[in-house]
Amino acid sequence: MNRPAIIIVTGAGGVGKTTLSAGIAAVIARRGARTLVITVDPARRLADALGITMLDRTTNRPTLVPGAGPLDAVMLNVTASWEAITRRHAQPEVADRLADNPYFRAVADRFPAAQAYAAGEQVAEFAQSGNWDVLVVDTPPAEGGIEFFMAPRRMRDLVGGRLLRWLTGARLPGRRMFYRTAARPMLRLADTLLGSALLEEIADFLLDLRTLYDGLAARAAAIDRLFGQAKVLVATTDSPGAMREASRFFSSLPEINASPDALIFNRSLPDTWITARGPKGAGVEDAALRENMARWSIEARRNRDARLEMAARLAVPMATVPWLRHPPTDIAGLADLIDRAAGLTAILETVTA
Amino acid sequence: MLERRLIIVSGKGGVGKSALSVALALRAQRTGKRVLICAMTDQVGVALHLGADRLGYAPATFHGGIQAMAIDRADALDEYIKLQLRLPAAAPTRALSRAMQVLVDTAPGIREVITIGKPIFDVWQGHHDLVIVDAPPIGQLMSYLRAPAVVADLVPTGTVRDQSRRMATMLVDPAQSLLVLITTPEELPALETAETLDDLESERLITLGAVIANRVLPALDLPPERLGKLPDRPASEAAAHHLGLLELQELTLALLPIDIRLPYLFGIHTPAEVSAQLADAWDDAL
Repeated sequence: MNRPAIIIVTGAGGVGKTTLSAGIAAVIARRGARTLVITVDPARRLADALGITMLDRTTNRPTLVPGAGPLDAVMLNVTASWEAITRRHAQPEVADRLADNPYFRAVADRFPAAQAYAAGEQVAEFAQSGNWDVLVVDTPPAEGGIEFFMAPRRMRDLVGGRLLRWLTGARLPGRRMFYRTAARPMLRLADTLLGSALLEEIADFLLDLRTLYDGLAARAAAIDRLFGQAKVLVATTDSPGAMREASRFFSSLPEINASPDALIFNRSLPDTWITARGPKGAGVEDAALRENMARWSIEARRNRDARLEMAARLAVPMATVPWLRHPPTDIAGLADLIDRAAGLTAILETVTA
Repeated sequence: MLERRLIIVSGKGGVGKSALSVALALRAQRTGKRVLICAMTDQVGVALHLGADRLGYAPATFHGGIQAMAIDRADALDEYIKLQLRLPAAAPTRALSRAMQVLVDTAPGIREVITIGKPIFDVWQGHHDLVIVDAPPIGQLMSYLRAPAVVADLVPTGTVRDQSRRMATMLVDPAQSLLVLITTPEELPALETAETLDDLESERLITLGAVIANRVLPALDLPPERLGKLPDRPASEAAAHHLGLLELQELTLALLPIDIRLPYLFGIHTPAEVSAQLADAWDDAL
């Protein structure tokens, strides 16, 4: 069975990742590849275009997108968190004990890597099913999507236990070991700072978590490999925050075994605005149009400069998608948007080749 | 607002948190206050808006008086340990704190207390009249605000419990601490701000000082029905673009109780110019 090609679309929140992912999947499916678009939280109209109903949102079951060729869509349930991960990997009594641990209850559920990791596990399952030739993944918005890539390692680190070894001083500790080594100076300090009851709760939590390690570490390594083989498309707009996030991907992804393959500059402004001056008339309306043109002429210049600067600095292929007043919300319109985007078709051909 | 001791500034990534933290500091400085800006997780934004390259853990002085620093996790932990163990600042605790870093990095919740603890400790030390915190993006804000209370509940006894409790008490006191939330007239920043307002309403960890809409577009005096009839193509496209954004702007800002609107600064400006112009606009808006 062939592994599917995986395309991950990432970038800061609000740059249009979900729309771009849906369009890219539609274009690929139109060429006949069995395609699954995995999305996170589509706006209502986009969910309708993908044929995702409220019921599908809770079941994680891919459904056929009507009138789009061999295209399925699924919405990831990112609320699945620690509870779901422990139920999957731990013995039932361990999962119960974890759920009752005060430390676990107070803070572990907010460990952001858990949600991102759960999403990664679901993507891996779809990849292994053999049902699709191409998966297009729209990343969850936490930390601009970087969390999604880091999560497998963070989970393995937490469960694999640098902290546990630190607390217990042993590679494969037992509960007794913890109390016997509790006289070490570092623990005495931690004890002064945090109180021994909290330390014991943390240690209990980590010891129980340790029983998940083998299953979870193997799974996390597989997800990490999957991300490493995926084609990563980083989406941005000309907003300073989005560009900063996009640049962060280029500096961080190599560390996490993935590298960006292309940049998609969404909502680019027309270069024709840069030199436009507006109508010359003396009327009130022409004056308003001139003033507005002057504003947007300088914005169009900033937009073009940002594109050129990023393309030169990041040295990857770049595609531009024009700003549209009303972005398409049906599958044909989404596919057309991607087809007409300068440079994107060439990028997709290298990705799916 | 400037009479408080601690102002925490947050918003979705990219809405202008650092620019407005600096703008707020400029305004406080004009009234003669000794101000410290404390950058919690973004090491660069505040520095750029002060016209500098980067910030260190030790406060540096800018613009004739504003002090600014960035939290370094290792330094913050070292200082925290000294405070907890009541050791002098010069005590050689580096090796200890480096070893403790494992605990802080891996155990969720503890890092947040130490990070938010730094600006609070500075308030307690009293070197500044006002400490402005350039806080993490709004999605992480609640876990930082909750952290002192969470740790105070988890730790049964001792100085950490007492200090965490004191931190939580200070955050919730409207005479001492306020939260300023920044949004832009775009869908996602506004929705996340609305969600956070709901969380604050139910959890009451800190008092809301203001919701600020940044990068608000000016009105365009052109009836929409004129759009299809304009001869000049780029001007017509730009007008349609502007009117489209205005429509979105009104829809999103209607979701929120906006206290102050600050204008979109068209044109190319240095970050230091942006924060100075926003400080003026903020004063004008009041």
